[in-house]
Amino acid sequence: MEQDNNHSGDREVDAVLRHASRPPIPAGAMDRLMARIAEEPQQARVIAFVPRARRRATVWRYAAAVPLAASLALGVWLGANGRIDFLMPSAVTGGVALNDDAPVDDLGGVGDAYAEEGTT
Amino acid sequence: MTDAGLLEAAAGGSHAAFAEIASRHYQPVYRLVWRMTNGGADAEDVAQEAFLKLWRNPGQVREAAALKGWLMRVAANAVIDRSRRPRGTPLEEAPEVADPQARPDAPLDRAQAARLVDSRIAALPERQRLALSLVYFEGLTNIEAAAVLEVSVDALESLLSRARRGLKDSLSAEWRELLGGLAETGQ
Repeated sequence: MEQDNNHSGDREVDAVLRHASRPPIPAGAMDRLMARIAEEPQQARVIAFVPRARRRATVWRYAAAVPLAASLALGVWLGANGRIDFLMPSAVTGGVALNDDAPVDDLGGVGDAYAEEGTT
Repeated sequence: MTDAGLLEAAAGGSHAAFAEIASRHYQPVYRLVWRMTNGGADAEDVAQEAFLKLWRNPGQVREAAALKGWLMRVAANAVIDRSRRPRGTPLEEAPEVADPQARPDAPLDRAQAARLVDSRIAALPERQRLALSLVYFEGLTNIEAAAVLEVSVDALESLLSRARRGLKDSLSAEWRELLGGLAETGQ
C-alpha cells in the first residue's frame, strides 16, 4: 500500500518535472569548445626521463674488494689451524665448547640424554 | 566507434575524435551545469571546463564506458567549486529574480509553469538538485548517478526522496494545477 503511494507520488513528481525547462545548447557552443581545444596543449602521456650521466666504470673500482677478500681468507686460515685460539675466550675454544668428554661416536649429545634419564 | 576508441584517438591528439566525444556528451553535461547554476551565464564556461580537463589528459578516464558519468562528475564538481568561491557582486547589485507567479490567482501558462518549477528546483539544496537532475533530467540509473555523486545507492535514493518531498512541499499550492496542466496539454 505504502509502495503504491510512493509510486504514484513518483509519477506525480515525474509529471510536474516535465514542466521544467529543457535548455538548448547556446548557438555556436560546440565551435567555441573546439576552438578552445585547438589552443589547449595536451599533457604528454609519457614522461621522458633524462638519463643520468654515467661515469665510466674503471677496473680500479674493484681494487677495494681485494683487501676485503684477503682479510676474509686470512681469517679462515687462522681459525682453521688454531693459531689464534689463545685469543679466543675459553667458552669458544675450551673443552666444554668442544664437548671433549663425549664419546667420539656421540657428537649429538644423545648419550648425555640417556645418562640423565638413568640418574632420575 | 565506441567511447573507448574515441578516447584512445583523442589521447593521440585527434581533434576529430574529440569533436565526436563532445557531440555525444556536450548536451547532457551542459544541461546539468545549466540546472546546477540555475541557468547562470557561466554554464557554458563550466561545461567547457569539463571537456578541457578531458582533452588535457584523456588517460585519466579509467573506464571509458563511464565517460558520460565522468564528465558529469567533473562538471558537477566545477559547479560546486564555483559556488563556494566568494562572489564579487554585492547583494544589492544582484539581478532581481522575477516571481514566476506574480498573481497567485491567475492560471499558469506553460512558460510560467516552467519558470515556477525551475525556480523551485533551484531552491533545493545542491546535492538534492544534482541527484534530481541526474536521474530525472539526464536519465541516469540510480547506480550511475550514485557513482557521479560518489555516494552509495542508498544515499542517492535518500537524496532523491528528500528532493521529491521538498519539491512537493514548495509547490504544494500549485501541485494540482501543474498535474492538471499536463492533462490539458495531453501529456
